[in-house]
Amino acid sequence: MVTSSDPGRPVEALVDPVAPRPVERVFPVRAMGDVLIVRKRAQELAVQFGLGSRRATELAIAVSELATNIVKYGIHGEVVVILDPETGVRGGIRVVARDVGPPIRNLEIALQDGCDDTGPIDPTLVLRRGGLGTGLGAVLRFADLFEYQQGETGKAIIVTFHR
Amino acid sequence: MPNEKNEEVVEFTQSRLEDLIQALAYAAIDDFDACMALMKGTLVGDSFATLEGGFTDFLSMLVGAKADLNDALVRAEESNRQLENQLETIERQQAAIRELSTPIIEVWAGVLCLPVVGIVDSQRSAEMTETLLEMIVAKQARTAIVDITGIDAMDTKTADHFIKMAKAVRLLGADCILSGINPGIAQTLTHIGVDLTGIRTLRNLRDALQVFLRE
Repeated sequence: MVTSSDPGRPVEALVDPVAPRPVERVFPVRAMGDVLIVRKRAQELAVQFGLGSRRATELAIAVSELATNIVKYGIHGEVVVILDPETGVRGGIRVVARDVGPPIRNLEIALQDGCDDTGPIDPTLVLRRGGLGTGLGAVLRFADLFEYQQGETGKAIIVTFHR
Repeated sequence: MPNEKNEEVVEFTQSRLEDLIQALAYAAIDDFDACMALMKGTLVGDSFATLEGGFTDFLSMLVGAKADLNDALVRAEESNRQLENQLETIERQQAAIRELSTPIIEVWAGVLCLPVVGIVDSQRSAEMTETLLEMIVAKQARTAIVDITGIDAMDTKTADHFIKMAKAVRLLGADCILSGINPGIAQTLTHIGVDLTGIRTLRNLRDALQVFLRE
């Protein structure tokens, strides 16, 4: 696995056409400003990797929802964007959103639109909380694969977008 | 001899005892300078001087500990202030981000325009609705033009929320025009099967402005 701590380095320089290897980018997420940075960079990386512009925007929306959840519920965490030429049939992008916050209490409920992980969000609270409760649902709708992991030190949502 | 009590009588002047008492009084009110000044002149090598010396040693240790404590307090206050500054900066940035993500322009008296660009997620669409509805009331607007030319993808639930926003605008007694819907979004909107009656859509912002100016 090739890793790069420099988010400004072009992807082309890291992807070797002869021996395709995954390229990994790590973006720390602590505040809403980080959400703006990671979703923009994820969109650019997706376009460079060869996703269509609409699909790249969908990936950026998913990244935005996952990163927003880290800021809202996860204390702090990071989003890792992995460009993997060998996943799926024609390669794909994996997005790992992990944080040190408490685990999702009920994933099935959390994935339902208009709900957080305990149940439906009171519509009168939607505006005050600045969310519709449809974020994870959107991620699930856009992604080709959706995976949830939790451990003693935190949790991670891993989604894959095929090329 | 070691177990025998030392019955030796120590003699000292009344003034030395008074000085010691006075020094203790100064120490009690944190005036260590005055305290040390009083104890300085007591260098007589008799038994009472042992007590005076012990008191002076204790005093200088106390002064040292006190200074350390003050330093720690100053440092704690400093880092606290830095933390408060950082929190304030973060809050200011968040407010700026919110403002930038929903730039509402009054293009004409009573006509508001909300150009939507970039990536629209659930949080942003909720914020947009809130800001637009507040602005319509504040500016007593008759028309709101929501231009989504810059958007090429949107989640179905977010699109649904956009239509609800347009309906809420009508409830406030204003018209809402959606302009610049691209093929992808059009498919999303028809796919979710929402009721689009009463929602006016126009090809682009120019058409939307023209329609308003004609009416």
